[in-house]
Amino acid sequence: MTQQLPHRKPWRCSDGKRAELPAIVWGGVKGMWILDSVGRDGVDLWYREGSVKCRHYDYDPPFYLWLPDPSAYHEMIDALGEQYRAGTCTFRTLSGDLSGFSVHAGRSVAEAIEQQTCGDAQLFNVDVRRDQRFMAEQRIFPCGETGGSRFSPDFPHDLRQVEIRIHDNPVRSAICTDVRLIHERTEVLQGTGQSVITDLFSLLEAIDPDVILMSQADLWMPRFQRYAGSRGLAMPFSRTGKYRRMDSRSYWSYGRMEHKDAALIPDGRVLIDTDQSFMYREGGLDGVLMAARLSGLSPNLASRFTPGTLISSYEVYEAVRRGIVVPFRKADAEKVRRFADLKEADRGGMMFQPVAGVYGDVDEIDFTSMYPSIIVNSNLSPESLGQTGREGFLASVLRPVVLLRRETKKKRKEDARYAGIDSLLKWMLVTCFGYTGYKNAKFGRIEVHEAITRKSREILMQTKDLAESRGFCVLHGIVDCLWVRGTGIDDLCAEVNRMTGLFVESEHFDWIVFLPLNDGGGAYNRYYGRLSDGSIKVRGIAARRHDTPEYIRAMQQEMLALMATARAPAELGEVRDGVYRVYCNAVRNLPFAPLPSLAISRRISRKTYAHRCIEGAAVRAYRDAGVDISPGMKIRYVVRDARTYRVDPEWTAERFDPSYYRGLLDKAWKEISYAFRWDGNDVCGEWKAQKVLESLHSAGRQEGYMPER
Amino acid sequence: MRIMLRKGITLHQGTFTAVIAPEQVILSALNDNPDIGRFLTLFVCGNYSRLLTRFRQASPNIELRRPFTADQLLTAIKEAGHTVIIIEHDPTLFDGAERLLAPIAAALREAGREALVILYAPAMDRPFGTLARQADRLIEIMPSDEPGYRQPYQGTRPYRHDAAAPAQKTLEVF
Repeated sequence: MTQQLPHRKPWRCSDGKRAELPAIVWGGVKGMWILDSVGRDGVDLWYREGSVKCRHYDYDPPFYLWLPDPSAYHEMIDALGEQYRAGTCTFRTLSGDLSGFSVHAGRSVAEAIEQQTCGDAQLFNVDVRRDQRFMAEQRIFPCGETGGSRFSPDFPHDLRQVEIRIHDNPVRSAICTDVRLIHERTEVLQGTGQSVITDLFSLLEAIDPDVILMSQADLWMPRFQRYAGSRGLAMPFSRTGKYRRMDSRSYWSYGRMEHKDAALIPDGRVLIDTDQSFMYREGGLDGVLMAARLSGLSPNLASRFTPGTLISSYEVYEAVRRGIVVPFRKADAEKVRRFADLKEADRGGMMFQPVAGVYGDVDEIDFTSMYPSIIVNSNLSPESLGQTGREGFLASVLRPVVLLRRETKKKRKEDARYAGIDSLLKWMLVTCFGYTGYKNAKFGRIEVHEAITRKSREILMQTKDLAESRGFCVLHGIVDCLWVRGTGIDDLCAEVNRMTGLFVESEHFDWIVFLPLNDGGGAYNRYYGRLSDGSIKVRGIAARRHDTPEYIRAMQQEMLALMATARAPAELGEVRDGVYRVYCNAVRNLPFAPLPSLAISRRISRKTYAHRCIEGAAVRAYRDAGVDISPGMKIRYVVRDARTYRVDPEWTAERFDPSYYRGLLDKAWKEISYAFRWDGNDVCGEWKAQKVLESLHSAGRQEGYMPER
Repeated sequence: MRIMLRKGITLHQGTFTAVIAPEQVILSALNDNPDIGRFLTLFVCGNYSRLLTRFRQASPNIELRRPFTADQLLTAIKEAGHTVIIIEHDPTLFDGAERLLAPIAAALREAGREALVILYAPAMDRPFGTLARQADRLIEIMPSDEPGYRQPYQGTRPYRHDAAAPAQKTLEVF
């Protein structure tokens, strides 16, 4: 079905006057529950109306061009007019109106204009996704009734889901032989690759799901496509038989190299890679759907994008919806400033270094969405920085998200169904601050970034002063958290809330361990403790690190579970023997540990290493095994001999280096044993646990299995 | 206005010079030159400058601008009206933005008609080579202790154990 829609331009052309945005209420679109969208020769919207249907819209939006001296480029403008229907118009940017041209052409023409004008031209709306732009202009959005609010956490759906778990390793196998397909019941598909794939395709065809959750989908799909092509089979993942292709790429993100595999994205159906999708891992299906609602992107894309790209897409959607054009390139540089000003402004968040030790009855004060709330409350936006009176773009678009996060954070405590949405919002809001200083952020500016951190430092200092004035002892602080000891925490939180205008919450620790740095000072980001509900909260130790082998993680988790039975620092002494036994058992059983439990998972940052190191050896081992690797990819390996840098990919490993893993065990044990041998001046100050442990150790050695210390 | 880079190597106003040298050489040339503070000077660097925190001139005449994209670098050069323009080359700006190498080289040459423009890098790389082709002079200074040795470009992080403490007084957010 094809429909023509009136094209909504941000601004009317030809007479130079601004036109009001026409309020299109188009019956064909209103009330649809959009499942997927495709910007191909117009826009295809896949929507549920009983069954899933598709509607095509002719849609050819222009990009906008501004030239500082149009007369200097009159020949180019004439050519654009003849070939691409270029016409004069006025459009609205974040910093004001510009008179320029609308050009009905694609990115290649825009890049040619850039080349020809030697960077003088300013271009807008060149790289906004066509389907996203269409929906933003029509004020509709995916994954919800189009008449409703995007900012509601309640959006019931009856999507037909199927989960495909493939137990083969996509790196090693070209074809799958062991598959579980879970829908109303679980189908087990085992056998030769041909029969399994044929059965899988038939089942999918019969079930006709709306959402496919598939392990390693982005690695398996190209294999399926090759196999189907060679056997003349039709791949049933797409409802049209067509697939969009996302290229693989490696990129830097928050100081580390990441890798995204190429993906084949089906039409009319949501395919989520349950292993690779960060948003799915964090937010589940509801999180992905909410990301799609906010960003105006198909859930297929929302599940594959990072939180940073999602918040950026959300800002783009909002800009288009408000009739603001989106810059193609980020050309507005930081303002000229003096050295002294830079040194004053360019600082990060505030940190207070703790004194390492074990503390009892500690409260953690946590500011909810501190940076986004500062943006909203202080009206920090690139175009309105330093101005008063009007709300800036960034502040106004973040306000509903911040309010929604507060709502979901509250609701998730009573109803776990909101956890996924809350987690998604948390990540989006975490990254929205970083994006203000990110080089490719469409609506970012480094001065806004600096203003946010400046304000956060002020707030943390004010909070510390307030706490101390009320008799609290401030033990530690990291950017948006303070650890304090004293009485009257609820009153303190209420006062902080009133003073800063920010929402704060507190968590009570029965005891908490701040671990030491090598120089003896307290580590900023390595601690663990028992919360008042009996659970253990850990940060920065082996049990929490992504590269810790499972064997070591399990040992530390078992120790922490024992320690969780201690309700106060003084009670820790009662579990120390048990904890030490866990360590001894782990050391004793290490020679018999299953090899997969010793696999180390790392994200590689480069393909070649100048110096000899374990990571470089792992990259070589992968390459020798015939695996094509790219920076940012995750690899799993077992260290065979650390001294000579010999490692094996997880699936080929046959033995391991016991002394290397013993070293890792000892390191993890050291993080825990610190809680027992710490002899500061606190309630647990007189412990001499170390001596007890040493006596246990020597007794054990006589029995012949206790570990070396 | 002139800057003596080393004995016998002097840079003059009205020229665009590309310089490859050890950081210490360029730093001593800038820090020990009192003229730098007397003239309006613009220092342009990227997000991970190796020189910024060790640049000791405190004159109010010295200004700073940090472009984080090649487009922003082009804007910074075009808008600069300073007597001295020092650009610390950041090759990462040109990742995926090679299209701007020619306009930026042309803008540097244009700025060098009136100002003293220095494009500095510790080692040669492909974008630097393209930009330097438009320079009036290319000066390469080898480390004095190892003649013939080219300093490899190792990463972009500024931190060095032997360097003065970085300007940032608090830790980064994580």
